[in-house]
Amino acid sequence: MNRLEAKDVLRWVLDHIVWFILFIVLAVFSLTVKGFAQWDIYRNIFYHAVFVGILAVAEALCIISKEMDLSVESVLGLAAVVTAYLTGTSTDASGLMLNGYLVLGIVVIIGVVIGLFNGFLIINMRISSFIVTLAGYLIFRAVGLILTHGYGVVKLRPELLAVARTNVGPIPVMILIMVGIYAFFFIFLTRTRFGKYIYLVGDNRTASYNAGIRVDRVLLGVFVLSGVLAAFAGWLIAARTNGSSPGIGTGMLFEAMAAVVIGGVSMQGGIGNLTGVFAGAVLLSALSTAVSILGIPPFFMNIFRGGFIIVAVVLDAVISRLRPRLM
Amino acid sequence: MNGAEGNTPVLEVKNVKKSFGKVEALKEVSFEVHKGDVLGLLGDNGAGKSTLIKIIAGNHRADDGEIFLEGKKVEFSSPAESRAAGIETVYQNSPVCENASVSANFFIGRELCGRFPLFRLLKEGAMQKQTRKVMTDMVINVPSVKTKVGLLSGGQRQAIVLGRFFHWGGKLALLDEPFAALGVAESKNGLRFIKELGSRGLPIVLITHNIEYALQVANKFVILRHGLVAGKGLIAEVTADDLVSMITGAINVNQ
Repeated sequence: MNRLEAKDVLRWVLDHIVWFILFIVLAVFSLTVKGFAQWDIYRNIFYHAVFVGILAVAEALCIISKEMDLSVESVLGLAAVVTAYLTGTSTDASGLMLNGYLVLGIVVIIGVVIGLFNGFLIINMRISSFIVTLAGYLIFRAVGLILTHGYGVVKLRPELLAVARTNVGPIPVMILIMVGIYAFFFIFLTRTRFGKYIYLVGDNRTASYNAGIRVDRVLLGVFVLSGVLAAFAGWLIAARTNGSSPGIGTGMLFEAMAAVVIGGVSMQGGIGNLTGVFAGAVLLSALSTAVSILGIPPFFMNIFRGGFIIVAVVLDAVISRLRPRLM
Repeated sequence: MNGAEGNTPVLEVKNVKKSFGKVEALKEVSFEVHKGDVLGLLGDNGAGKSTLIKIIAGNHRADDGEIFLEGKKVEFSSPAESRAAGIETVYQNSPVCENASVSANFFIGRELCGRFPLFRLLKEGAMQKQTRKVMTDMVINVPSVKTKVGLLSGGQRQAIVLGRFFHWGGKLALLDEPFAALGVAESKNGLRFIKELGSRGLPIVLITHNIEYALQVANKFVILRHGLVAGKGLIAEVTADDLVSMITGAINVNQ
């Protein structure tokens, strides 16, 4: 009996290994990096993780279903540009100065349309999601640039600024929004039928199809959710930066991918959970915060990110081999 | 165990022919499967067993002849159609969701869940309970219904696939060399399980070239040789030597 419990504990630890790594890294930084162990720094780490964190949810949904979405970063960029263009008060904006929440609706619709577009090409035209969303990665960024002729737009309407600046107690609303998204999609993936289908379809498409699951609908849903999440993150980042620059969010795709992989979502499909992805996003954010506090040149950042990806994948391989012995 | 006289057979294959180019894979094959039958479909490599099974399962279409399922003529143009009609083919590597639990695989496509649209909450506890009950009832040995299927043995997986099919009201199981990849102990378990399902009334066609297996679980046999039925009857009335003779052609009922 005792032995059985020890195995259960070990299995639980292995399943949540990224959380242990996160706590160790935070502890090490807090003890060794001067000025790290304070509330403001921790708040910044979470604030900084919001956009990559939300993109990582989108990416996790796709990768669990054994697809991928390389367009999330550019969808974020496009949504940010559209938000700034429609609500901005500077000269390069549209001059419409629409209400920020109306624009949120518009941006969500853009996300849905992009998701349907990606989904149509991937499911109905049977083109690999890598190719389709790689094209999307190029196209959606360019559409944003064309819209504002490559200029940045600044000074958005006050209701958008409020989203970025309001706190609930000591916690910024932005962080609560991210946590809310994670909580919602965690329940969605683990407790609802559609969420479970995302896992099953990613795990074995033939078995899912044979069982009568409408695989194409599940995948379409995944790409629409991915588009909407990315667009929403774009709206948030426009609010945060009080505008949008042409290159807004550049590089976030690979950070989001890194968070997903570090968080234990497997490229095999059908494996992984959002708690791990959340920890992965926070871990990457903590890392860049530590690097900037320490004054290490920022171009070292990607070496650390890459290093964590390799550590995560090696750990995953080791754990997969251990698991059968822990039954 | 034999189906009562006058009963419509669950499956009736009537004068089925199939050629691939100039190769006559099936020259003319007829047989019946009744409720309660475990039919051993025997034959050497190239005798036409696989072609026949693929025609019944909808992978191929027969050039000529008819197939009746529960008395109704059927013409499947895809495996999906035959599956929808209640025919399941189990191969040595039947697809399962390896990273999903036993209960998830058992309820796949039939999840118990709430009615709230777009956010249908799963009734996980109820599904696990029901799966546990069925596994116990059918004597399928799994460590727990929460165990990932990928961690189970090939035999356990097949048992889950087959048990699931039977539980949800499947009409006819086609087992295509199910033991090819299994060890001795596993095959023994598999045979016991086939017998168990047979005795519960699930008609099974067991395709194998292992005569021992057929003798142990089947009550009827059909032997194919060069695309023709080289013999059929009740297992109880033949010996292993008889079966071998018919498979190799030492006895030829067509002459």
